[in-house]
Amino acid sequence: MARLTAEKKVLHADLEGDSVKAAAGSMVAYQGNVEFKNAGMGGGGGLRAAVRQRVAGEAVNLMECTGHGRVYLAQDAFDVTVVDLQQDTLTVESEHILAFTKGIQHDVQFAGLRGMTSGQGLATTKLSGTGQAAIISDGPMIALAVAPGMPLVVDPDAYVAGTGQTQMSLVSGVSWRSLVGEGGGEPFSLRFEGQGTVYIQPAER
Amino acid sequence: MPTIYDPNSLPVDDNINHYAFSIDLNGEWFTSKGAMIAYYGNIDFSGVAAFASRAAWVAARFSSPLYTQDWVVAAGQGKLVIGDRGNDINSYDLEDGNLTIKAVNLLAFQPSLELKQSIVPGFVTLIGTGKFLASSNGPVIFVEPPFRADPDALLGWADCPSPSQHYDYNWMAQSFMAGIQGMFGRESGEERQYDFTGAGTILMQSSEMLRVDSALMRIVESQTNLLDANSAGALGHKLIARAQQSNM
Repeated sequence: MARLTAEKKVLHADLEGDSVKAAAGSMVAYQGNVEFKNAGMGGGGGLRAAVRQRVAGEAVNLMECTGHGRVYLAQDAFDVTVVDLQQDTLTVESEHILAFTKGIQHDVQFAGLRGMTSGQGLATTKLSGTGQAAIISDGPMIALAVAPGMPLVVDPDAYVAGTGQTQMSLVSGVSWRSLVGEGGGEPFSLRFEGQGTVYIQPAER
Repeated sequence: MPTIYDPNSLPVDDNINHYAFSIDLNGEWFTSKGAMIAYYGNIDFSGVAAFASRAAWVAARFSSPLYTQDWVVAAGQGKLVIGDRGNDINSYDLEDGNLTIKAVNLLAFQPSLELKQSIVPGFVTLIGTGKFLASSNGPVIFVEPPFRADPDALLGWADCPSPSQHYDYNWMAQSFMAGIQGMFGRESGEERQYDFTGAGTILMQSSEMLRVDSALMRIVESQTNLLDANSAGALGHKLIARAQQSNM
């Protein structure tokens, strides 16, 4: 099995004759026998996925790394976090995906209003299945648990990804509106309820 | 996999990492607008002016009218996570002291502290006892006077009297023309420094990204009241020329 290990701002992908998908152009070095080929505009998800991604503006250019050896992946000196998925779904903006192992499907989900508030388009990318996914963030990622009776509110600009069964809603309470009245500020924040984990970065986009 | 925090495991008034800080809120904190990146619990954010209409003590604590638009009061119970564009965040404890800091770098402070505008434009002074959070571009360096600081890298100072401006002697002596140019606002190098004397501590950051401080313009604008109409007009022309030059 291919194994992903985060080493601060670099991702180690150890391949044993299998393959991982990674953001095109993110390879900085490799050891061993590894082949790189473009996974196509659907990121290998087929034509329907490709069309959905184009419509949603969540197009991600992926490459497939196959062979034996270690591939070093990095992007923009961003911090790397590896998330283990067990029959779970990771919801993440396409630009934060660095790599994921076989066994994880890559698709686009329409996110509704949340995409609008963060200026990220109306959709987000879904990585689901069993395996590992590596995501990047500006500054070290902070993982915050969401559980019943323990809702979490985050700044849409700091939100990066989420796993589990969470419901997201926009908070724009009276107090928030009074902020807008005083100029600038953040008119909305995201409220998560349910069961899962939310990943945020310390730098707002 | 990173540690997964919940409201109980988040640090109590401590850093989560270099770039994020967790406040254990039980009551009120002043926070700068946009500093909140996440929170658990029941926390209300209201504009300083709106909150002041319900709680008279706010006006006494927050005596910086130019900055009220940029600040909110976070009130309630819970864990509040503070971040600032990926800059380093440090917490400081003041004990019956005073500390002056660059306004854009101040992120949050307890209401037991009093906020005032510094005489140096773009800086604010905190007086009293309590905790506050400030960001810096890179780790903070603490220095003792006598010391001369590059204004761009200066983060703040504690206990010292206000700094005076110091112009490099060689720079002044070498060329009288250069002196004239300086008066016309064409200085561009390191000839201008802040000079600190007396007892205290100076806070420096290791690098500086230029940040827009919306209040700074209002401060400078209010100081133009010192000029008579002719001088103000002449200044206006120079500023227009500068804006046009930087647009090219």
